[in-house]
Amino acid sequence: VSLLLRLRRPGPPPTCAGERAPARAAQRHALYRTEERGWPRSLVYRVFFKNVAGHYISPFHDIPLKVDSKEENGIPTKKARNDEYENLFNMVVEVPRWTNAKMEIATEEPLNPIKQDVKNGKLRYAANIFLHKGYIWNYGALPQTWEDPHQKDKSTNCCGDNDPIDVCEIGSKVLSRGEVIHVKILGILGLIDEGETDWKLIAINVNDPEASKFHDIGDVKKFKPGYLEATLNWFRVYKVPEGKPENQFAFNGEFKNKAFALEVIKSTHECWKALLMKKCNGGAINCTNVQVCDSPFHCTQDEARSLVESVSFSLNKESDEEDAEQAWYFLGK
Amino acid sequence: MSGFSSEERAAPFTLDYRVFLDVFHMVVEVPRWSNAKMEIATKDPLNPIKQDVKKGKLRYVANLFPYKGYIWNYGAIPQTWEDPGHNDKHTGCCGDNDPIDVCEIGSKVCARGEIIRVKVLGILAMIDEGETDWKVIAINADDPDAANYNDIHDVKRLKPGYLEATVDWFRRYKVPDGKPENEFAFNAEFKDKDFTMDIIKSTHDHWKALVTKKTDGKGISCMNTTVSESPFKCDPDAAKAIVDALPPPCESACTVPTDVDKWFHHQKN
Repeated sequence: VSLLLRLRRPGPPPTCAGERAPARAAQRHALYRTEERGWPRSLVYRVFFKNVAGHYISPFHDIPLKVDSKEENGIPTKKARNDEYENLFNMVVEVPRWTNAKMEIATEEPLNPIKQDVKNGKLRYAANIFLHKGYIWNYGALPQTWEDPHQKDKSTNCCGDNDPIDVCEIGSKVLSRGEVIHVKILGILGLIDEGETDWKLIAINVNDPEASKFHDIGDVKKFKPGYLEATLNWFRVYKVPEGKPENQFAFNGEFKNKAFALEVIKSTHECWKALLMKKCNGGAINCTNVQVCDSPFHCTQDEARSLVESVSFSLNKESDEEDAEQAWYFLGK
Repeated sequence: MSGFSSEERAAPFTLDYRVFLDVFHMVVEVPRWSNAKMEIATKDPLNPIKQDVKKGKLRYVANLFPYKGYIWNYGAIPQTWEDPGHNDKHTGCCGDNDPIDVCEIGSKVCARGEIIRVKVLGILAMIDEGETDWKVIAINADDPDAANYNDIHDVKRLKPGYLEATVDWFRRYKVPDGKPENEFAFNAEFKDKDFTMDIIKSTHDHWKALVTKKTDGKGISCMNTTVSESPFKCDPDAAKAIVDALPPPCESACTVPTDVDKWFHHQKN
């Protein structure tokens, strides 16, 4: 008889603001809620997602890519011009700005909770690349997208990195891990990370106080000068402290505009659809979902709950010290 | 506790014996990457650390793009004082009425209120709103790399860009509050360790004059429990009574307002 243990705590331990999953009060009005298991900065830590009815969902497969202004709770998203309603997307926040823990949607686990990436048996933290502290944007992914590792991207000439498409959210607020927000897409960077296509979308939270000023990539250059240059540099060198080489980019590191970005999103969404319909080889990707009714991987809410509850944990309560990564890496020597 | 400390290496009477006199205590007021403007309350008895207040509101330093909060562990050398009645010959300005400030450049993020030993490396002569405001550059004596840092040029060599970022930060850090850019003496050049030691000595002398009542410190509270020559010395029970009269330690911190997260970009139009 296997021992079923759920390390389910009433609340997270005190950490800095961005490191907490969204507070219960804020979550009451949100369409999606999170449920943490295990302590942050440990191997067993998971952030599961639930919909407003309290049923477990996958943040990878069950959150719509595009914001549907009719469906989303009856509350229309204010602050976007009418013509921009077509281009609002849901974003799942994995890493709050200025934190280091490399959190990501666990694409190979059932219902794809957020977990901390592990390399060589150790939890991964992004280095602080001088003069930056951790990640310099709120970082996450667009749901219902997938960069297919069997398809060579025509812009980068490399295969996809087997993950949902990544987003750098440039608004003022430090968001929380697991938060699902609406973003306006502004542009895209063609990173080639260790030889794999790894597009980086540039977006802004539609609820940012300055969101109405941002419509395309040129507005980022105008209102946040230096931010795109810093972004390019960060992605170029962020693995150098681990002993990896500098990364490369398509288009000489030029940021492409919104129209281009929307095309890339569309293409990764098509790849995801093929994945969920079993039209392509998903490898170890777990496609279990509760919302995509036509998918051969669809399951019921009860089955989803059983899946989550059957995840067992060891009693090991070890977790890393806060600010496990304090050193500043100077790469100009 | 003495502002002056010394760092011994190897056993006395051996060839390797060294005593470093460039090591001082530092009181950490602001951990690297945080924003709350905490400082030694020079006017309060026993000078606890408290958060600075401006116009009735708690002060937080802005995140000046590309920086997040303070870019060093920031604090002060105890038993020093920049005398506002004394016009500094280097800057042409009077002192800012505070202990001398330190930017500690080591890897560890220190805790507020931590007392550490630092090796002094150099100094920047800032003129903040018309007052002399020296910024000592130092490294935690316990930093794993501390042995490689002996003077200001080591910082240039081993942490390229850090001194430039330091000048840039101090020049612009009040601009988001609507203040002008700050200025510097010596064209914002960092002076070396020997120069720094002279400045520290001079601020230590000013402090001695203050605490022995040779200089009138006006609002400054000189209450102390260890300086035997000071007319402000009091016994430990009197000191305890002062602390006991204050509100008890709190259970949990209030949250930092979310507008502190904002990143200020200098806009080109």
